[in-house]
Amino acid sequence: MSDDASVVLDGVTVRHHRRPAPLLRDVHLRVAPGEHVLVVGPSGSGKSTLLRVVSGVVPHTVSAELEGTATVAGVPTEEASVVERSRHVGVLAQDPASSVCLPVVEQEVALPLENRAVDAAAIDARVDAALAAVGAGHLRARRTAELSGGEVQRVALAATLAAEPAVLVLDEPTSMLDPAGVAAVRSALDVTLGGRTREDGEPAVLLVEHRLDDLAGDRGLAGLPARTVALSADGHVLADGPTDTVLHELATGLVAAGCWLPLEVELAALTGHRGGLRAPAVADALRAVMAAAPAPAGPPLGAPVLTARGLAVSARAQRPRRRWMRRARDEDARAAVDSALLRDVDLDVRAGEVVAVLGANGTGKSSLLMTLAGLRAPAAGEVRGPRPAMVFQDAEHQLVATSVRAEVAAGLPAGAATDGRVEAALVEHRLEHLADADPHRLSGGELRRLSVAAMLVHDRPCLLVDEPTLGLDRRAVADLVRALRRTAASGRGVVVVSHDLRTVAAVADRVVVLGQGGVVADGPLVDVLRDPGALRRGGLVLPALVRWLLAEGLDGGRVRTVLAALDAPVHTAAAVPA
Amino acid sequence: MSALLAPEDPRASALARRDPVVKLALVLAVSLAVLLVLDPVTPAVLYLLALGGVLVGARVSPRALAVAHVPFVAFALGQLLVNALSRPGTVLAEPGPLRVTADGLEVGTALALRTLLVGVLAIGFVTSTSPVRLMTSLQQNAHLNPRVTYAVLAGYRMLQEMPREWDVLRAAHAVRAPLRRDGTPTRSPRVLLGTVFGLLVVSVRKGERMAQSLEQRGLGLAPRTTWRPSPLTRGDAVLSVLVLGVLGLVLRTSAAAGLLAGPGALS
Repeated sequence: MSDDASVVLDGVTVRHHRRPAPLLRDVHLRVAPGEHVLVVGPSGSGKSTLLRVVSGVVPHTVSAELEGTATVAGVPTEEASVVERSRHVGVLAQDPASSVCLPVVEQEVALPLENRAVDAAAIDARVDAALAAVGAGHLRARRTAELSGGEVQRVALAATLAAEPAVLVLDEPTSMLDPAGVAAVRSALDVTLGGRTREDGEPAVLLVEHRLDDLAGDRGLAGLPARTVALSADGHVLADGPTDTVLHELATGLVAAGCWLPLEVELAALTGHRGGLRAPAVADALRAVMAAAPAPAGPPLGAPVLTARGLAVSARAQRPRRRWMRRARDEDARAAVDSALLRDVDLDVRAGEVVAVLGANGTGKSSLLMTLAGLRAPAAGEVRGPRPAMVFQDAEHQLVATSVRAEVAAGLPAGAATDGRVEAALVEHRLEHLADADPHRLSGGELRRLSVAAMLVHDRPCLLVDEPTLGLDRRAVADLVRALRRTAASGRGVVVVSHDLRTVAAVADRVVVLGQGGVVADGPLVDVLRDPGALRRGGLVLPALVRWLLAEGLDGGRVRTVLAALDAPVHTAAAVPA
Repeated sequence: MSALLAPEDPRASALARRDPVVKLALVLAVSLAVLLVLDPVTPAVLYLLALGGVLVGARVSPRALAVAHVPFVAFALGQLLVNALSRPGTVLAEPGPLRVTADGLEVGTALALRTLLVGVLAIGFVTSTSPVRLMTSLQQNAHLNPRVTYAVLAGYRMLQEMPREWDVLRAAHAVRAPLRRDGTPTRSPRVLLGTVFGLLVVSVRKGERMAQSLEQRGLGLAPRTTWRPSPLTRGDAVLSVLVLGVLGLVLRTSAAAGLLAGPGALS
C-alpha cells in the first residue's frame, strides 16, 4: 500500500432497519496514508457510523445495511471481517470502560500484539512504549478494575496504539482525560510512537472529538488534523477540505446545530473576524460583548446547606460490619484512613452558589461526591446538613422506571403525582414531548436533562453533579449550565465535578481543587484560576478563552455572563422546534 | 473476596509458580479418587494434608482460608445431618422424633470430609492461579481456542466490575428513595428489581461492546504469539509425583489398616 489510499469510501449509504432515514448518505471519502482527518457534525449526523464503516463493525457486527463500497488497505468490506480488518485498523471506542477486557493493564496492551503474532520477545518493550506514549507507564502492573475513568481511557488508547495500525480510528479519545492525558494524546498523534520510526509510514487517522481546543493546545487550528469532513444532520457530507476553510465556512450553521468547534472558529462566527483571540478585531469585538453583558445580580449567599469537616474519603464502598467482626473495627478504621484517597477535607456549600470540584484523573473527585451524598461512609470526619441530591456521571445508572414521566416521579412522596410538580419539571427541562418515551431510548442530551430533572424535582437544598458533560454536544452542555445556574438562583447549593474548565468557568462561583490527597485550593473562581500554584498542584491547564477573560481582569460573574453570551447562538437554535 | 483473588505476580507462592492446567488436573484426580471412599478416616487424613499443603504452598492467610471454608462447611454439615438422620442401621440416639444411626453418622462424616477436601483443594487452586495464566495454559497445554479463553477472561473482568456497577446502581437509586425513620433509604422489592434489571441492561450492553473490542484488537487472527507462555517445568512434575504419591500412600496405608471403605459401606 505504498502510494495507495488507506481508506476509500465510495458512495457509502448506511441504513438501520429500525430507522426510516439512512444514518449516512452517499459518502465519498479518500484518506491517504499518514493523513489526519477530523470528522465534525451535529449529534445524530452519523460521525460514529462513519468510523464504524471503516472498522467494519458496520455492516459485520451491527445489523445495518451498507450500500457502496468501503475499502481499507486495499480490501473491500465484504471480504474483510472485523477481525481480519484489525490487521490494519486500530479503534478507540467511545466508551473506553467496555473496550478494556483483561484483568491487568499490561496484558490488555499486549493482547493486540499477541494477536498480530508479534515476536514474544519484542512485546515487553512495545507495551512499555505504548503506555509511555499516553503517559500511563506507571499503570502497567495495575488491575484494570481499579482504574479511574480517565486512566482506563489511557490504557485503551495505549492498546490501540501498541499494534501500530495503518489506520487509527479514534472516537472521542480525550472525553475523560485531565490536561496531562490530553497532552499525551496530542503528542501520541503528533510524533511516531514512543520515538520509534515506523517502517510502513505514519498511520492515517480518523478522529471524532468534542474537546477540540484542549486537543489542539496552544497551536489553535494548526494543532488539529489538517483536513476536516463535515457531516450534515441527515448524514451526508456537507464539506470536505482543509480544516481552516471548512470550519470557517460552515461555522454559523455548525454552532447553531450544537457542534463543538475550535474557539477560533466559534469567535469568527460570533464576531465576523478570523484569527482568534490574538487578532485585535476579535478581542475588540469580545470586549464589546463584555461591556454589553449585564453584571450578574445574584442573591446574596445563604446559610451552608452542606458542611464537611475533617473528611477522609475511601476509594471503595465500605460494607457495614457484622457484629461478630466488630473487634476488627478499630484496626480497619485506621487502615481505611491510611488508604483514603483524600484526607482532612473541609468544605462548606452555601445556598445560592455553584462550587466546582477540580483535580486530575484518579484524585477522588467522584468518591468525594459519593461521600458528601451520604452514599459512602466517610473513613473519618463527618458530613453535616440535610440530605443532598446527586446526579450520576452515567445517567443511565439512575434509571428506575419505564417512562420519562415515571422516572421523574420515582421516589416522590405519595400525592406528588397530582400536585403538578412532575409536569412542571417536564416542561422546565424540555421533556414534555418525551413524557411517555422509554428512558433507555433517549439521546445523551435528553438523558442528561432527564437525570437532572428527576433530582431537582425532589427539592433538596443541595445538588451534587458528577462529570455531567461527558459525551454531550454543545447544546446539551449549554442547557445544563443554564439549569445549574437556575438551581443556584433558586436558593440551593450546587457542587459540580468536572474537568471541562470552560464549562466550570461558565457555571461556578467557587472552585475547590483536589490534589496530593487533599484540598490544595478553595476560593472564588477567578482567584483560584489566577493562582499558578493551585493550577499546577491540581494538574489544571486553562483553556485559551478562560485565560484571556481572566487576563482582561474580569470578575467571576462577568466571566460567566460573557461565556453565556457565547452560548446564545446555540440557545437560539435550540428554541426552534426540530 | 478480594483477599481470595489470585495475585498476578507468579512468584508470590510455590503453588502459584506451578502450571495452572497441572494444578487443575491434580485437583480433579484427587477429587475423583476419593469419590469412591466412604470411610471417615481416609478423607480426614487427606483433608488435613491438603489443608497444610494449601497453607504453606499457596500462602493463604489462615483467616482468608477460614472465610473461604464457610460455603463448604455449610454444605458438609448438611450432608452429615441428612445421612446421620436418614440412613438405616444401629440406632445411636433418638432425640425427639429423630433417629441417629451409627452407619449414617459414619457415611455422613465421610461425605462431609470429602466435601471439605475438595473445597480446600479448590481454594488452593483459585488463590494460587492468575486467571490470565490459567487461560494461557489452557490454550497452550490443553489446546483450547484463544477465542474461548479470552471470552472467559472478558467475562471475568465483567464479573470483577459487577460489584462496582451494583454499588453505583444502588447508590443512584438510594439517592431518590424515601427515608425510613432511622434515616436509611427504603429498599422496596420494586427498587431492588429495578436495580437488578439495570445491572442486566448495563451488563448486556457492556458485553456487546467488549466482544466488539476483542474483535477490533484482532482476537481470532492466526497465527498468534503468546507473550508469557506457561511451559511445563520440572517443578510441575515434582508437584504431580508428590500429590499422587501421597494420595496413593494414604489410600494404601488406610487399606492395609482395614480402615478404607468403598461403596460397599452403603449396603
